Amino acid sequence: MKRTSVVAPLLLIGVGVLFLARNMYPDLALIDYFARYWPTLLILWGVLRLAEILFWAATEKELPSRGMSGGEWILIVFLCMIGFSVHTVRGFETWWPRSGITMGGIDMFGESFDYPISGEKATTKAPRVVIESFRGNARITGGDANRVKVTGHKTIRSMEQSGADRANNDSPFEIAGDTNEVTIRTNQDHISGNHRVTDEMEIAVPLGATIEAHGRYGDFDITDVSGNVEIVSDNAGVRLQNIGGEVKIDTRKSDIIRAINVKGPVDLKGHGADVELQDIDGQVTIAGTYSGVIQFRNISKPLRFNGQQTDLNIEKLPGQVRMALGDFTATNLVGPVRLTTRSRDVHISDFTNSLEVSVERGDVELRPGKLPVAKMDVHARFGDVEVSLPPAAKFDLTGTTARGEVYSDFGAPLHTDRNGNGGSVRGSSGGPVINLQTEHGKMTVRKATADDKPFAPEVEAPSSTVTPVKPLQKVEQ
Amino acid sequence: MTPGVLCAIRGPIMLITLGVLLSIDHFGTVSFARTWPVLLIVFGIFKLAERSSVRSSQ
Repeated sequence: MKRTSVVAPLLLIGVGVLFLARNMYPDLALIDYFARYWPTLLILWGVLRLAEILFWAATEKELPSRGMSGGEWILIVFLCMIGFSVHTVRGFETWWPRSGITMGGIDMFGESFDYPISGEKATTKAPRVVIESFRGNARITGGDANRVKVTGHKTIRSMEQSGADRANNDSPFEIAGDTNEVTIRTNQDHISGNHRVTDEMEIAVPLGATIEAHGRYGDFDITDVSGNVEIVSDNAGVRLQNIGGEVKIDTRKSDIIRAINVKGPVDLKGHGADVELQDIDGQVTIAGTYSGVIQFRNISKPLRFNGQQTDLNIEKLPGQVRMALGDFTATNLVGPVRLTTRSRDVHISDFTNSLEVSVERGDVELRPGKLPVAKMDVHARFGDVEVSLPPAAKFDLTGTTARGEVYSDFGAPLHTDRNGNGGSVRGSSGGPVINLQTEHGKMTVRKATADDKPFAPEVEAPSSTVTPVKPLQKVEQ
Repeated sequence: MTPGVLCAIRGPIMLITLGVLLSIDHFGTVSFARTWPVLLIVFGIFKLAERSSVRSSQ
């Protein structure tokens, strides 16, 4: 019998498991994991092959003349190409455009050289401040003085002092414009050659300023600004606090977007991980892919969340919402509330007006809490539905399951019926319509007791102080 | 080690090295653009080891 490698079957099993995982948990950011960890596959592959060959050698079987066949190398090349493109597309460190393979020692052992930057310009009370695209961090703080003042430093990685000096001269820090509009320019693009430049800026602006910032890599911290804030970045962590105007953030990648105490509307777009919004007086509109933990707290206007797997509309949110992987927990909502999601367990307590929930896979647990109970329309395809109604509640309830048990301890007016594999629970005391449906799962109606606490999403209250600008992560390649 | 074994494990070892270098690159410590010569070194070491093992088995 021809001896064949175990790697190919294992590869098949691995791919199968991945796709299965994707089907079961669509929220898993598999692409992100792949983009980050794909080189591990190469290591695994090599280790397997090595173990196999050593085993063959130990059992004195005939060895293949080559450890890896040509076909395998071709597959590996493909894997590398896919890995690199995904890695680049997902915005983890743009790899190749900034530096090719460095030959002959150039930029092999660079050093960091720091240069101070500063600039100041008198302005009106409410100027527009534009920050042109740059790499590095910026902390912007509103204050009483009518001027824009920048302090900070520029870091250049270079082989030697003279190269760094040249790069420094090529990228003069500029603060241009007039009293109404100030432009902050780092001129990082003007540097020729293989030098990596980052600017760290502390920017003091008048309270009334409007900020428009463009970034390529680095964080933005903005505090105490009463104008609008607009941020466009390839890769940024954004932390905003006490913003008087409108907030617009568009990121290709981000580890966190946090906004606390915003008077105007908030508009988020693009890709990112964690999102935290708290004390927002304007409408919140989010359209994009955010793979981390998403938290909302105290939002006084409608909230529209349009994600890859989840759509959420809330009229008003005095309480809080937390969405983590496979989970949706919310408490104290003003309806109409509408939630459509592919695969999450849904827990909602204390909601008014009306609630519509549609879940593909996942359990739904509702505790309306307040009287009169809200109108409810719940549909789950695979998952249990459980509703706890206050004893004094008035409603007109119909609950059905196509396959699964039905259970009610509410007593009159509800009565349960078995029907083939499924069953139903019905009853009316003349109140809002409650319509519960699951295709595969248990249907439960309970009488709420004093022990039923509202769901408390574990929202970590963000610290009220703005974190100091972190040292920039290493971006040199 | 016989030349056969050395020759057979060269591919997998190179692959593991490549995987490690790329992992290091992705976690942002040292970029692959700088570490790629390690691959040459590993390959060279294998070639050396093969030579010497061929000589000793003769």
